[in-house]
Amino acid sequence: MSDTVRTVPLRGRAGASSGATPRGRRPGGRPATGTVVARTVIGLLLAAYAAISLYPFLWMVSAAFKDNQEVVSGGHLLPRSPTLQTLADTWNKLNFFDYFLNSLKVTVLTTVLVVVIYAAASYAFAVLRFPGRTALYRLFLVLLFVPGVVTLLPIVLLEHELDILGTHWGLVLPFVNGSAPLAVLLLTNSFSSIPGELRESARVDGAGEPRIFATIYLPLARPALITIALLTAIPTWNEYQLTRVSLNDPDTYTLPIALQAMRSENVVQYNSLMAAALIMVVPVVILFFSAQRYFVNGLMGAVKG
Amino acid sequence: MSGETIASDARRPSEPGPSAGGGPRGTRRRPAAPERAERASRRARLREAAWGYAFVGPALVLFGVMGVYTIVYGFLLSFAEWNGFWPQWNWVGLDNYADLLWRSPVHAPAVREAGVNTLWVMIAVPLLTVAISFPLAVILNSARRMSGLLRSVYFLPYVTTGIAVYFAWQYILEPNGAINLLLRSVGLGSLEQPQGFLGNPDTALPTMIVVMVWSSVPVAMLLYLTGLQALDNSLLEAAQLDGAGWWRTQLSVVWPLLRPITAVIVLLNLRDSLQGFQVFLIMTNGGPGNSTNVLGLETYRLAFLSELAPTLGLASALGWLLFLAALVVAIVNQRALRRVG
Repeated sequence: MSDTVRTVPLRGRAGASSGATPRGRRPGGRPATGTVVARTVIGLLLAAYAAISLYPFLWMVSAAFKDNQEVVSGGHLLPRSPTLQTLADTWNKLNFFDYFLNSLKVTVLTTVLVVVIYAAASYAFAVLRFPGRTALYRLFLVLLFVPGVVTLLPIVLLEHELDILGTHWGLVLPFVNGSAPLAVLLLTNSFSSIPGELRESARVDGAGEPRIFATIYLPLARPALITIALLTAIPTWNEYQLTRVSLNDPDTYTLPIALQAMRSENVVQYNSLMAAALIMVVPVVILFFSAQRYFVNGLMGAVKG
Repeated sequence: MSGETIASDARRPSEPGPSAGGGPRGTRRRPAAPERAERASRRARLREAAWGYAFVGPALVLFGVMGVYTIVYGFLLSFAEWNGFWPQWNWVGLDNYADLLWRSPVHAPAVREAGVNTLWVMIAVPLLTVAISFPLAVILNSARRMSGLLRSVYFLPYVTTGIAVYFAWQYILEPNGAINLLLRSVGLGSLEQPQGFLGNPDTALPTMIVVMVWSSVPVAMLLYLTGLQALDNSLLEAAQLDGAGWWRTQLSVVWPLLRPITAVIVLLNLRDSLQGFQVFLIMTNGGPGNSTNVLGLETYRLAFLSELAPTLGLASALGWLLFLAALVVAIVNQRALRRVG
């Protein structure tokens, strides 16, 4: 797995780095004492942290397959009589499909807009020369340090004026704008590591900027684009702070708010709550695992850049 | 991400510029027709600039609507008193800042208490994250089998960070939840928390720190892992030829070489510890008492949970203090990095 990962990234990147590393050999990475003891200790440590990483999920899954009585009595990780009833009830009774679609809509719109808008902007920052470029670039980066909580209230008031408070667009627009610093940072790095000769020769062939952007830079920066898509989609899917203070109509609720509403009911039914949590987590996990190798490479590019 | 990267990136784009833009044409310029060539290259430069603005345009428009307005508004509001319903702001100058920092008998102590909690988080989370993720990355990098699967498993906490997983944590931290059960079954029943780990004011903050570290280890580990895989192996081989053992190599060769990555990790975690509060809002809402109240959460409370009290200006002012603190942290981090680098 790690080997496939390491071969993918730099192919289009004109050997941005680590060209000298022979594949599959990492002398410094392995304890010199390749004894059984050392390897057992390593195996145990790795397994221990895997258990720590998984622990809350295991109980989430476990509770989602328990019935009311069993979950109240505490008990064991393995359900005594596993039931699908809890998951089915949660899904049907609580309109989870609607919330699911709302979340999907907000997440997809946000992600697509982030990738389109900031890929274009980063191309300008990385490649094109125009007055004010450096200043604008710095401006976007400083925004990384503006706490979200400062702009939360003005956003709510502004959206009230614009009459989009409580709509899904009222979530998407601030989410997109809030993703700007990281997206610009990562994509500008990635675009400026693409050799300028490619652009020069395309220009000699008569290609305009939009075509150079679309046919040379976008394909070569694919790992970075996918990374940004994931880094946008995952937090958007889970977003809670702004969503909570802007959505009022249950028809517009996204999954986090639906989950919160379940939690605020007078008696917490942990099995349905965990079933709902599971429903919310599974799509992100699937998305992540299907795009994982690009993600790793994109982050790598970000760090090296 | 670190101040260092920011500075060098801002410089970088301008480097390829001259050679990519008007440069080559300039060198090719014939002395016979200097003016025409100059005019042509100026037109080319103008066209490039126009495309530049066109490409940045959408981002700027959105920033103009969502960003400039909200930031200016928030900044102005920090000098006023308002409760959200009064028809007008009541300008108070720097009073909000003074009230938060020392003057108000209500707000200053709350800010101080939240500040101390935030400080604990800012110390513990980056430190523990580095202390766990660096060794983890080193041994994961040395594992031959299953490393892909393990990396995915380790990454799960990041992927799912959010309300769903925080509820799962709440569930296992309950009085008769899984953590207490685990402690009892391994014979550590004395560490059990009968009110639950989040119900006891003494254990609530440390427990929250554990949850935060748990969710921040994945990215840190991945960053270290990419750093390890990009290391120049000849250096490590040289160290081993010189007779350095495995531990020695890790400590005196690998760790210093990965220091830039450590700086990035520390900066990201400091920023999140300083400003992030979603996990507190969801899991404890600052309680029990104020034992897990942090500055971000205090800001949120002042802005959204204080009913009709005129605390919106205070909330803005506290938010800007957090911004200042984040900048200071970033600059200190950059200085520290420069000195060792």
